[in-house]
Amino acid sequence: MKQFGLFFRKEMLEMGRSYRWLWVPLVFLMLGVMQPIVTRFMPEILKAAGNMPKGMTIMMEMPSGAEVLAQTLGQYNAIGILILVLSLMTMISGERQSGVSQMIFSKPVSFVSYAAAKWMSMISLITASFGLGYAGAWYYTVQMIGPVDTAAAVKAALFYLLWMWFAGSLTLLFSSLMNPAAGIAFVSLGAALLLSLAYGMLPRYMAWSPGALPQISAKVLLQGSGGTGTMGALLITILFMIIFFVGAVYMTQRKRARF
Amino acid sequence: MNTDIPWDLIAPLIVIWLILAVVGLISLSRTESTRGPKWLWVVIIVCGNILGSVLYFVVGRKDVS
Repeated sequence: MKQFGLFFRKEMLEMGRSYRWLWVPLVFLMLGVMQPIVTRFMPEILKAAGNMPKGMTIMMEMPSGAEVLAQTLGQYNAIGILILVLSLMTMISGERQSGVSQMIFSKPVSFVSYAAAKWMSMISLITASFGLGYAGAWYYTVQMIGPVDTAAAVKAALFYLLWMWFAGSLTLLFSSLMNPAAGIAFVSLGAALLLSLAYGMLPRYMAWSPGALPQISAKVLLQGSGGTGTMGALLITILFMIIFFVGAVYMTQRKRARF
Repeated sequence: MNTDIPWDLIAPLIVIWLILAVVGLISLSRTESTRGPKWLWVVIIVCGNILGSVLYFVVGRKDVS
């Protein structure tokens, strides 16, 4: 436990020094704020863009607050996950390559507390960033577009947060599995994308897959409930996160000395 | 064309961009070496909007360890 605290503080320091505590939350905030603004001013933007034939009128209904918030979550699914994977990809592999982990593991330290500290700092970065971004999106949506049901918004945020945690755990696992940063980013992004695509194409067979979580949170916002399979997806996701964590611990142990 | 730009709404975005760009430039001036020439990163951060700064933080910095 003492070791965990030590490692955790080291991870936090490292994330601060590499400016991750600065740019990841800011980019998330920007993504969150942008969607309500763009939606609100869409008619003006189209008018200003100017290549509309004369006399053509676009009937555009202003979407409801919940719809805009759901669209924001869609933004996070595209760019947010990319930002997340990019910021986390070298967490384990980077230390292995620079020789830091060899130095650490020459002492009797536990691999579990080492990996757990990485995992916890990853979770806190994701939670803070997403929390900030979602709060910004929520505030702007309520101010500019319309009210959102508080309970639904919080519930949707929690489901989405779980999906981001899942993507983060996946990245950490691949970071412990291999060294090239580009490879880690590519595989983790691909896996996350594939999972949510698979749910989009085969919603019946993938109802319990972690890839269903983004859709579930959108459904919570728009319809008030996540539908059947919510509980299953929740449990499976948590189970997979535990498996990924155990895998990351095992792989750090096995690959500690090899390059 | 006279469209009213709602500056009070866009201000937070500009502030975010400014913070990222300024911190990026400060960190750039402090590090000894980056991936690729330094002047190029200055151009990218200044002209590349938010994406430029993010790009610098992700790939430009050499993590000193």
